[in-house]
Formats: sequence, structure tokens, C-alpha cells
Amino acid sequence: MTQIEAVAWIAQVFEMAPDQLTPDTHRDNVPAWDSLGVLTLMAGLDSDFGIVLTDEDIQRVKTVGDILDVMRRHGTLAQTSS
Amino acid sequence: MRFILLDRIIELEPGKRIVASKTLPAEEELFRDHFPGFPVVPGVLLTEMMAQAAGRCLDAEGGHPGRAMLGKINGASFREWVKPDQDILLHATITHNRQSFATAECFAEVEGKNVCSAGLFFVFVPHERFTAGHQDELLLAYWKRHPERQPKPR
Repeated sequence: MTQIEAVAWIAQVFEMAPDQLTPDTHRDNVPAWDSLGVLTLMAGLDSDFGIVLTDEDIQRVKTVGDILDVMRRHGTLAQTSS
Repeated sequence: MRFILLDRIIELEPGKRIVASKTLPAEEELFRDHFPGFPVVPGVLLTEMMAQAAGRCLDAEGGHPGRAMLGKINGASFREWVKPDQDILLHATITHNRQSFATAECFAEVEGKNVCSAGLFFVFVPHERFTAGHQDELLLAYWKRHPERQPKPR
């Protein structure tokens, strides 16, 4: 998966248009990134990519870039930035 | 009006699947308005029935830090009208079951037909938010009929 595709996937999780998100986007600026949004993200990572995160893991994720890093560590996203 | 929208649990594999039943009698007041001269069970109530079935399936397992609550409806389809007095079977299969969340694929069946379906997402609300010692009457009735199937306390 490319970073563009990964950002589009994240946008879909948070019910936003892909062009509204960048790796620097902070969760405070994403209306749907609330407690339900966190669980939706966890469920999506689990069902779509087999990535299972603990509550502690997910609390450390504060930006879109942090989500991309999670996806890279689990091999879902290529290590290159494109 | 009570808000237990199930009459009975028919089959139960805690944390995995459940089948429950519900019949809404014709004399229920809601049918006066939904709709005048054309009484049908509201889709939102069918969705709530499926959610209550799936939620009890999760709660029966006893392995979560709280009680299952509907957090999101990922899509619901309503294919056939459901009339008063019809016996409705609510089916739920738990598709993801984690400590923080769970998902279920659910459908309602009337006279052998799939009348509606929904993907449901559950969160868990801490037990201390609820009345201490409260036990679900439908689960209690099921365990009373099938004591051998009740999970052992962890």
C-alpha cells in the first residue's frame, strides 16, 4: 500500500475527504477522532490489515503520521514515503 | 414501555453467535402511527432488536471490562415489511471480539425470509455505571433452561 492509499484509508475511517488529512494532522483537528473514532480505527486496522493494537498502543497515536508509522511497522505500508 | 426488545433467547454461543425471537403484538401503540392503516415494525426497532441480541451474546461471555453497548451502525438494509404479530428471529454472529470493541453481522428473519440486516459495532461501558448486581432477565431465563451451557466464572 502506498502512503496516498493509506491516508485515503485513514480518511475513510474518520469520515473525511483524503485531501483534508496530511501526516502532520493532529487528532485534535479531526472531529471524528474521538473515543468512538479510536475504537473504529482499532477495528479497521484489525479487520483490514490484521494489526491488533492494545489500548496503550492506540493512546500513543496522536497524528495521522503516527498511524502511518504503525502501518509501516506492521508491513502494511511501504517504508518509502510515496 | 419496557425497552427489552427480545422475548426469548433460542440459541447461544457466548461471544460467538445468538438467535433470539421477538413478536410485537398488534395492540402496541406505536402501530397507530407507523403507519395509519399500514402497521409495520419500524426499521429502527428491528435494528435495536438485532443490537440487543448481539449485545447479550457478548455479555454472556463475561470476558469484557464492561457491558456491550451499540456504538455504530455500519450499514442497515430493510428488505421486507414486518407486520404486527409476526414472529421475528434475530440472528447475530460476532465477527470481531476484542477487549475494547466488538463487531457483529446481524439479520432478522420472518417466515424464512431475510427481512433486514445490519453491521453493528459495539463498545463496552464499565459495569460500575450500571445498577450493582443487575442481571439480564433474558440471559437468566436461558441459563435456567440450559444450566449446562452457562460459562464457568473466570
